[in-house]
Amino acid sequence: MSWTAIALKNLWRRPVRSVLTLAGVAVAVAMLFNLLEFQRGYERGLRGELGDLGAHIMIVPRGCPYEAATIVLHGGKWPRYMEQSWYDIVKQTDGIEATTAIIMDAIIRDGGRENIIYMGIDDDYPKLRASWSYAGGGWFPADDSAILGSSVAARMGLEVGDTMTIEDGSRVAATPVKIGGVLKRTSTQDDGLVFLPRETLQRIFNLQGKLVVILVKLHDVTKTDEVASALRQASADADAGMNVFPLSELLNTLTALLSSTKVFVLAIVVVALVIGGVGVLTTILMAVFERTREIGMMKAMGAGRLDVFRLVWLETLMSTFAGGLLGVLVALLSGRGVVAVMRHVLPHTPADFTIGFTAETLWVCIGVSVALGMLAGTYPAWRAASISPIEAIRGGSA
Amino acid sequence: MNDGEYVIQARDLVKTYTVGKRRVEALRGIDVSLAPGEFAVLLGPSGAGKTTTLNLVGCLDLPTSGDLTVAGHPISGNGARPTEAALDLLRRQHIGFIFADFNLLLTLTAMENVQVPLIWRDATAPGRARQLLERVGLAHRLTHRPDELSGGEMQRVAVARALINQPDLLLADEPTANLDTRTRDEILELLAELSTEGVAVLLATHDHELADRADTVLRIEDGVIADD
Repeated sequence: MSWTAIALKNLWRRPVRSVLTLAGVAVAVAMLFNLLEFQRGYERGLRGELGDLGAHIMIVPRGCPYEAATIVLHGGKWPRYMEQSWYDIVKQTDGIEATTAIIMDAIIRDGGRENIIYMGIDDDYPKLRASWSYAGGGWFPADDSAILGSSVAARMGLEVGDTMTIEDGSRVAATPVKIGGVLKRTSTQDDGLVFLPRETLQRIFNLQGKLVVILVKLHDVTKTDEVASALRQASADADAGMNVFPLSELLNTLTALLSSTKVFVLAIVVVALVIGGVGVLTTILMAVFERTREIGMMKAMGAGRLDVFRLVWLETLMSTFAGGLLGVLVALLSGRGVVAVMRHVLPHTPADFTIGFTAETLWVCIGVSVALGMLAGTYPAWRAASISPIEAIRGGSA
Repeated sequence: MNDGEYVIQARDLVKTYTVGKRRVEALRGIDVSLAPGEFAVLLGPSGAGKTTTLNLVGCLDLPTSGDLTVAGHPISGNGARPTEAALDLLRRQHIGFIFADFNLLLTLTAMENVQVPLIWRDATAPGRARQLLERVGLAHRLTHRPDELSGGEMQRVAVARALINQPDLLLADEPTANLDTRTRDEILELLAELSTEGVAVLLATHDHELADRADTVLRIEDGVIADD
C-alpha cells in the first residue's frame, strides 16, 4: 500500500462526485489552454502572413492603417485610393530593393454569398512573393488575362486556357479574360484571389490612376525606420496623402490589441478556475466529514497530523492534476472548433491560424492545476489533520 | 522498552472533563499495571470509565493528573510532557487498537487494510500482512473487501492490522460486542494466544463471561477500580 494508492481509492469511493469535480477543473484548464494557445497561434499566423507579404513597409491611403492592412490581408471593398503618381515617389527613395503597386476591387454576387476579389499587380509583385509557383500556365500572357489562386480556381472550376467573364451587372461591364495561370496552394490570402494586370483591372473597374497599396521590400531590414521616415518626408514634400507604416509596427499593434482582449478572457478563466477550486474544496471537505471516523482511526494507529494532512492534500492534488490533464485533452480536441468559431467571429484571422500544442502551455496548465489543488486542499487537509481521534472514533464530526 | 518493565504503569490516574458548565470526573484515581504477555480484562458497565482508561493508556488522551508510563515512555507525572508527535510515534511503534465496530477502510482489501498502519512509516510488508491474515484464519480472504466479509472475519482483519507493527500492547474496546458467541470465542482465543507470545492485552468489556479468559480482571465502576 502506498500513499498514492490509498488516495486514489479514496477518490474512487464516490466516482460520480470525483469525476464531476474533476470536470469542473478540466473546463477551466481547457479554457486557459485555449486562451494561451489561441494567442500564440494567432500571433504566429499573423507573423507568418505578414512575412508572406514579402514586404517590410506598407503604404496605404490616409485613414486607419490597421483597417487598410486588414483589408489587404483579408480582402474586401477598399474605402479610399492613392494616386498612381505616388508610386514614382516611392521608387525614387533610397534603400528599397523592390516595390510593387496594387489595386484591388471586389464583385459581390448572389446577395453576398459569392465574393470575388480581384487584385491588379505588376511585374514586380512576384519578386515579393517567394512562395509563388504555378500549378499550370504562368505569368499573364496578354493584357486581358488572369492568374487564379488555387482555391478560387477550384471553386470556380477554371483551368488554364478557360475564359472567365468579369461583370457585376451595373458598375462593371462584362469583360472576358483568359486564364493564363493557376497558382499552387500558398496558404496565404493569394489562394482566394483573382490576379489581373494592374492596368487591366484599373480599366475594367474604372479606377484609372488609382492604387490601394504599395508594398516595399528593403535591402536592409534594420534600416526600416530610416526608410519609413524618408518616405513620410517625401510624401509630405509632394503633398501626397501616403500613410507609411512598417509591418513590424502593424504586428505589434495587432498583437497589442489582441493582448488587451486577452485580459478580459483571462479574467473569465480566473473566475472559472476559482469556481473549479471551490468545487474541489467543497468535495474534499465533504469527503473529510464523511471519513471523520476513519481518519480518527488512522490517528489512533499512529498517523500524525502531517500524515493526515499529506493524505488529504495528495487526494486534492491528484484530483486537480487529473482535471488539468483532462482539460488539456479537451482543449486539444476542441481546438479546431474554437478556431472555426474565431474565424467566424473575428474580423480577420490569419490563414494558417491554428490552436496548437506547446510544451510551455502544457506546463503552465499543469502548474495552474497543481497550484489550484494546493490552495483548495489546504483547508480540508488542515480540518482532517485537526480531527481528534477520540471524538472521531466515538462518532463525532470534524 | 526494557526487560522486566511493565507495558503499562498507571498510578492514581484522574481524568475530568468539562461538559458545558458541568465538571465530569470520568476516572477518579485508578491504578493499572500490565506486564508483557499479560491478558487483562477491564470489566464494567457502560459509563464506568473503560474507554477513558483505554484512551489514556493508548496515548490518545492525556490524564488530568496521575503518573502514567507506557512501553517505558513517561506520559504523565514527574514532569512528563510528551509532544503530540511523540505520542503518535508511541502509538505507531508500541500500541495496537481493536474497536467494537472494526473500523476497516471499506475501499481496501483485507491485505491492504492490514498494511494501513505501515503507510505512516512509508513502508510496505505484504509478506507479513499475508502471514498475519493466515494466522487469524483468513488466508482465503486476502483480496476481499470488508463488505465481502462477515463480522467475525472483519474483526480478525482488525486484529491482524493491530499486529502489523508488532506492538507491545494490544488495546481492545468491546471487540466482541458485534459478534456471535462462536466468533466471540474464536477472537478471545486469538487474543489469549497473542498474550502467550508476549503481547500485553487489555480488553475493555461489560460482558462478565469474557473475564474467565483473562489473567487479570480489573473491575471498574464510576471511574474507580474496585478491589477484586
